[in-house]
Amino acid sequence: MTGSVHALIQGVVLGILTGGVYALMASGQTLIFGIMKVVNLAQGALVVLAAYLSYTLFTSFGLDPLLTIPLTTVIMFGLGVVIQLVFLRPLKREDSAQLSLLVTFAVALLLEGFMSVVWKTTYRSTNTDYANSSWTLLGIQFTVVRVIAFVLSLIALGLLFLLLNRTKFGRAVRATVQNPMSAELLGVESKRVAALGFGLGAATAAAAGSVYGLLYPFNSGSHYDLISELLSIVVLGGLGSVGGAVIAALIVSTSSAVVATVFSPTWSSFTFFVILILVLVLRPQGLYGTVERGAL
Amino acid sequence: MSSGNRLRGIATIAITSAAVLLLTSACAGTASNSTSSSAGTGSSAPSPSTTAPLLIGASVSLTGDFADSGKAVKAGYELWADEVNKKGGILGRQVEMKIVDDTSSPTQVVTNYQNLITQDKVDLVFGPFSSLLTIPASQVVKRYGYAFLEPAGGGPKVFAQKLDNLFFVQPAPVVKSGDVFADWVLSLPKADQPKTAAYAELDDPFSAPIAENIRARFEAAGIQTVYKQVYPAETRDLSPIMTKVAAANPDVLVSGTQSEDAYSQVKSLVQLKFSPKFMYMSNGANSPVEFPSKVGANNVNGIMSAADWYPGSPAPTSPAFVAAYTAKYGGSETDIDPSSAEAYSCGQLVEAVAAKTGKIDNATVISSLHQGTWPTLVGNLSWDAIGQPTGSFSLIQWIDQKLVPVYPAEVSKATPVYPKPNWGG
Amino acid sequence: MVRGGVFVVALMALPLLGFEHWVLNLMIFTLMYAAMSSAWNLVGGFAGYPSLGHAAFFGLGAYFVGIWFQHHDVVTGYEPFVILPLAGLIAAVVGFPIAWVAMRTRADVFAIVTITLLFVAQTLAFNLDSLTGGAQGLAMPTPPFELARFEWPFYYAMLWLLLTSMALTYLSMRSKVGLSLDAIRADEDKALGVGVHVQGVKVLAFSVSVALVAMAGGVWAYYETFTYPQFAFDPIITIGMVLMCFLGGRGTLWGPVIGAFILVPGQQYLAYRLGGSQFYLIAYAGVFLLIMLLMPRGILPTIADRLRRRRAIASSSGPPPSSDVPPPSSGAGTNVPVPSGGAA
Repeated sequence: MTGSVHALIQGVVLGILTGGVYALMASGQTLIFGIMKVVNLAQGALVVLAAYLSYTLFTSFGLDPLLTIPLTTVIMFGLGVVIQLVFLRPLKREDSAQLSLLVTFAVALLLEGFMSVVWKTTYRSTNTDYANSSWTLLGIQFTVVRVIAFVLSLIALGLLFLLLNRTKFGRAVRATVQNPMSAELLGVESKRVAALGFGLGAATAAAAGSVYGLLYPFNSGSHYDLISELLSIVVLGGLGSVGGAVIAALIVSTSSAVVATVFSPTWSSFTFFVILILVLVLRPQGLYGTVERGAL
Repeated sequence: MSSGNRLRGIATIAITSAAVLLLTSACAGTASNSTSSSAGTGSSAPSPSTTAPLLIGASVSLTGDFADSGKAVKAGYELWADEVNKKGGILGRQVEMKIVDDTSSPTQVVTNYQNLITQDKVDLVFGPFSSLLTIPASQVVKRYGYAFLEPAGGGPKVFAQKLDNLFFVQPAPVVKSGDVFADWVLSLPKADQPKTAAYAELDDPFSAPIAENIRARFEAAGIQTVYKQVYPAETRDLSPIMTKVAAANPDVLVSGTQSEDAYSQVKSLVQLKFSPKFMYMSNGANSPVEFPSKVGANNVNGIMSAADWYPGSPAPTSPAFVAAYTAKYGGSETDIDPSSAEAYSCGQLVEAVAAKTGKIDNATVISSLHQGTWPTLVGNLSWDAIGQPTGSFSLIQWIDQKLVPVYPAEVSKATPVYPKPNWGG
Repeated sequence: MVRGGVFVVALMALPLLGFEHWVLNLMIFTLMYAAMSSAWNLVGGFAGYPSLGHAAFFGLGAYFVGIWFQHHDVVTGYEPFVILPLAGLIAAVVGFPIAWVAMRTRADVFAIVTITLLFVAQTLAFNLDSLTGGAQGLAMPTPPFELARFEWPFYYAMLWLLLTSMALTYLSMRSKVGLSLDAIRADEDKALGVGVHVQGVKVLAFSVSVALVAMAGGVWAYYETFTYPQFAFDPIITIGMVLMCFLGGRGTLWGPVIGAFILVPGQQYLAYRLGGSQFYLIAYAGVFLLIMLLMPRGILPTIADRLRRRRAIASSSGPPPSSDVPPPSSGAGTNVPVPSGGAA
């Protein structure tokens, strides 16, 4: 096939494979927003922290990052709950809108500072022995780690879906997202749901982080780029909609990869921003967000 | 209205006390500097009593993006101070290094040199890490008439400032580090030379200019550019670019890289199963321990880079340096970051000027270093009027999984290998 | 008012008192952050829209001045200062449509847009390298001031910016604009219903705010003599502004100034004396979190509250019923001026 078509297809494949990881990260973020109406600016930092954890488990104990995902998920879940309890719950109801934004921002900085102390600022990446291998199918290159990342993200998203739709907790979460007051009236303890929900969002970051570390070099400062990409994705998908976040992640990731492959990598990060601005101008509630009174 | 007044009162008190605190610390700071006795501002180093310590200040990145190299620079400065003090110091004065952290920020670096010169009243200053920080710092240092020996600011914009007090302590301006590769390639028999070239360049003040310099020379010699791409620093995924490189099938790949992107480039090329006949990387590939560990030890052979100091360097003072370094910091010769050697060389220059002239004030340092050649760990250095060193780097290559100098002849320890062996070989 | 005046006169006289250069250097950065924090206050404190991307305009100002002097000469050394109002104007013009679009949404999305804006600006600075020098950076002409008074022009420029910002804040607090901003911050829908020109006022506040910040950026670029995209468009700058405003008290006149006077010398002192400590980011974040959890309204309003409560308890026979109800702080929990028309 011709060069530019080949490049285009390669870009699309790359985008879709990477989109899985972004979908996972974004789903946690949008879920937190749905439950608590809090934009979690620390989501990127949580992903990076998880990447560091899986990196350390790999380099110190030789444990494959994919295998340690259950462990990191549990750890990050706990951390998420703690963060919510310590930093977000004390905020009084009237203050929470503006302050919680800044609080999560400060938490992100705190995490960044902590990570830079513990792991220093050298770039790391989890270099397993399959990190360099790739398959070639019809002239398109599929890197092993990306395929694994994609499959893993699908599994994790599937689990999340099951959790949200088939468990009591999941029902409580969905009820809170839809209408917190009615949910409370029906017996849902919104405070508990909030804490556990934040933990869940952090847990998705854990799975995503393990994979992230396999794909890209990272250091404590990497969360800035990540968070701006994630924000574009959740806004596109519609704040609060997990399904929307997944689709948005694929769209954004693919567009960005195509721009990088077909045009130039210098403008690929721009794609995220352009999409964000377009969404806000044309359809502020995103693909699947609800138009609330006084909302976007 | 009274609560409003009260509020204003509190505000004024708070601010006034903050201001008073500030002023007292200012006065305290001025009074508390214990070493050099001068009280003047804006002059060169004061003439001290002959036994007062020689205070040398430097702002180095100990935290932030440049932290790893910054710490290597600090290690170099402090090692030199130890060594020279063992020999009796400089002109009978013990050297004291005052090293402060600029958190990799140009705002902080300006403040630091202001503080070092006007608050701590240091006698001499050494430079920070990276051209980004060296440039703002050099302006401050120039104002006060101090000499600026700096081990890490060699990008073109540093010299565009045309400062006569600045000395870049490496063999040549950074942009020229690729020259030695171009020299070698163009010295080969015509039939062996590459016909086509691709350039993959990181967009920062050093990497891209190095590759561009090589490209200018190659194009002038008739080597055709089949692909060139500059990528931004935060590009995580280099496979799209490397795919295009592979598709263009160049004879030589010139990579303007730092470290992470160098590793990514090589890993991508391995995955793409494309191995050019000649390959040069400005940075990353010159790291003796990191490079093979990141890209796979059996993938390194044949890749070339440039260096000023490397393990086994022929500089006469190198063995003593290595011995002292490993004694103080542990590890082995291959763990030593060249930034430490460059920093150490700054100190060697000060020693040499003192030995030659019997004086160590800034004006003397500046005028002395502009003439003649001065031996250091990183080579025999001499500078032009605006601080550009007039020497050249050494071309190094990975041969049998070790970094060896191969060109020019006077430093070469092995014959350069070409074409580059395939990956895994 | 008198005590405020004393403060201003003290600042004006400072360079004349013959302090060492490093003190003036420190004051330049303190005044810069005080001015920017005060400017941010207009949008984040008074209007209640937390902008996390103000650094985008800081960089805009820095690059405007830098690019301007690629094509013009610096002869007396004062030309960059003369050009500042133009930089401010350009920032306001650029900020206007951005505010128009971004402030239609609510606070969280506004924050997202502003963060994104910062990175867009940084990317543009990197990529449009024929204009901005890209990653190689942009050089400013060397200021030709003599050494002994080198810092003075920069000091006075920053002081002027701070006073302008405070004057604008003060004037707006006493005018319809200020009342409108309060209404918007309290409940935007109701404000709209009552007839406040919500969109116009918000956009005005934003434009003025970014103009001031851009001018600060211009002075900074000249003082540093060299600008790089990652430092001109640095999230740390925004973080600093926001933190100082929060520390001192959002929605107050003196709050941001206090915040700056505490934090800037404090941070520089810690970085210089203790040095090599990677804890300073943790410290920043920690202070931020502590403030938001313990003193969410900042130093000034919290102290004012305590005093008010004590006086109220002292002046009545028992604890007044309203002593635990904070003054009508709503939505964003900032300091709504008590009906006396504005705490200075």
